[in-house]
Amino acid sequence: MAQRVLICDDAIFMRTMIADILTGAGYEVVGEAESGLQAVERYKSLLPDIVTMDIVMPDMGGIDAVKAIIATHPDAKILMCSAMGQQALVVEAIQAGAKDFVVKPFQPARVLEAVQRVLAG
Amino acid sequence: MTDGRRARYVALFAAESRTLLAGARRALAAWGDAPTERAPADELFRSLHTIKGMAASLEYEGLAELAHLTEDGLVAVRDSGAPPERAWLRELEATLDQLALGCESAAAADGVSSEPAAGEQPARKARVVRVDLDRLDALFEDLGGLVTARQDLERQAERDALSPVARAAQGMARRLDTLQDRILHVRLAPLSEVFERIPPIVRDLARQQGKEVTVRMEGDELEVDRAVLDQLAEPLIHLLRNAVDHGLESPEVRRGLGKRPAGSVVVRARRDRDSVVLELSDDGRGIDRASVAARAVAQGILEEGVALNDDGLLALLARPGFSTATAVTDVSGRGVGLDVVASRLHELGASLQLTTVPGRGTTFVVRLPTRLGIVRALVASIGDERYVMPLTHVAEFLPWEPEAVRQEDGRAVIDLRGEAIPVVDLRRLLLYRGAPSPRRRPALVLEANGQRIALLADAIHGQVDAVVQPMDRPRGMPRWITGATVLDNGRPALLLDLASVV
Repeated sequence: MAQRVLICDDAIFMRTMIADILTGAGYEVVGEAESGLQAVERYKSLLPDIVTMDIVMPDMGGIDAVKAIIATHPDAKILMCSAMGQQALVVEAIQAGAKDFVVKPFQPARVLEAVQRVLAG
Repeated sequence: MTDGRRARYVALFAAESRTLLAGARRALAAWGDAPTERAPADELFRSLHTIKGMAASLEYEGLAELAHLTEDGLVAVRDSGAPPERAWLRELEATLDQLALGCESAAAADGVSSEPAAGEQPARKARVVRVDLDRLDALFEDLGGLVTARQDLERQAERDALSPVARAAQGMARRLDTLQDRILHVRLAPLSEVFERIPPIVRDLARQQGKEVTVRMEGDELEVDRAVLDQLAEPLIHLLRNAVDHGLESPEVRRGLGKRPAGSVVVRARRDRDSVVLELSDDGRGIDRASVAARAVAQGILEEGVALNDDGLLALLARPGFSTATAVTDVSGRGVGLDVVASRLHELGASLQLTTVPGRGTTFVVRLPTRLGIVRALVASIGDERYVMPLTHVAEFLPWEPEAVRQEDGRAVIDLRGEAIPVVDLRRLLLYRGAPSPRRRPALVLEANGQRIALLADAIHGQVDAVVQPMDRPRGMPRWITGATVLDNGRPALLLDLASVV
């Protein structure tokens, strides 16, 4: 069965791009969220195999969303999506429980590698 | 990335960047109003951040860099703990305009037009189908045929209004009206698609010239036909370029005149019966009547000493090749003047009017047809020639006899309920030289732009739904002849745009 993905990003552009990369490689996108609050809610109702999480979002940023998800689901597999120059935030996200990160602009091969790494780990 | 996929991303980018920048502008205004608030700064940051990410993904390096630098600058100010300075906020506004222009041109260079892609606009959740305008046009042509057939049927049915055929004809006529309305409605699109592009362009232009400007847009929720909207941006932007370039004075000059240093440009849309009317106003120096007149005299197209009213002024400015710019600037020059604006607008079935007051500013009034294609119209004749006129501007008609006319200030007028109304004879307007006119003739009272005239025809033949064919106007044909139609007896008739006759 295809691995189930939840995509969290406030830009429809980014969600579309990630969805294209992942569905092209056989993953199933089961949900999308456009804010941190939505990400936490959707995670609980969908229980996806993996989450891609943007850092900068309205109504609770990605890092707080990671903390909220990990608090109730310590095994959640979350891949952070960050822009260049956000190293400090990436470190904070990993400390909060995110498993790995990819940097925008997305290279499809990098995204797929990171997703596989997180799912295997 | 495949081409098809890239095109989809670019379309998303175009729509989403526009939404984000509109939000960023609102946040900027909110921040200016409440400098100690953090929320507006955060929203600005998110918008810039997302635009940066999208631009980088599409390899728009310059744009990504600009968004990145702006984001950094913003973070520095936001996290400094001190409220932002006015000058810095103004700079940020300028940068947002630059980003807006950059996003538009990047998407355009990538083959995506600046209209938001229907169905891909994130803000709208409605279920949407995109339809090629050509297909709608084809639908519309079929409808035109039906309307003509309906009038034929109605005429046949008139012989016995109570017959089953007549009733069936009435039922069909009602449904056809509804169908016509629905098809026309499908073609409507909001003015906001054009309006939201305007303020950044105007501000950017003013900046290039060291001028200050505030831009206000009103009525952008009004809808016009898609075909009109698609052709509207260029002439509007041209008129506004003129306003900034030739109309608005520099801040120093304005201060000296006791005006506010920042000039004002207002675009206001309002509905007037069947039309949408756009008013483009600036509070600049006004058009220099004397210099236009002098140039016209020098070119031998105006007699010396003739006073120029606003209509005369516009007629001169709209003449092909006539321009008063003494130096061709980078902006309004470019060899494309008001003549092109006027003829573009006329091709759309729109009319143009001008009011200008020295030292106070200039207003252009553009009257757009809301609905293309089918107009409820009156058929009038001169000799055996038939003409159709949209009913929109016909207030009433009355019988007229030569004795009723009198001269006032050198004009022929008739009295209507105590008001003297100028008389215009359609025969003279059309330079008709056929059979002499009947003694008793009907006068149509036309109302447009707050003025009234009485238009004399030879006879009136009732109303029709005229299916208007756009027309390539032959050289020399008056501007107020805007199209042609085929009457139900198969004879062609010209469509007169009464608003510009008034």
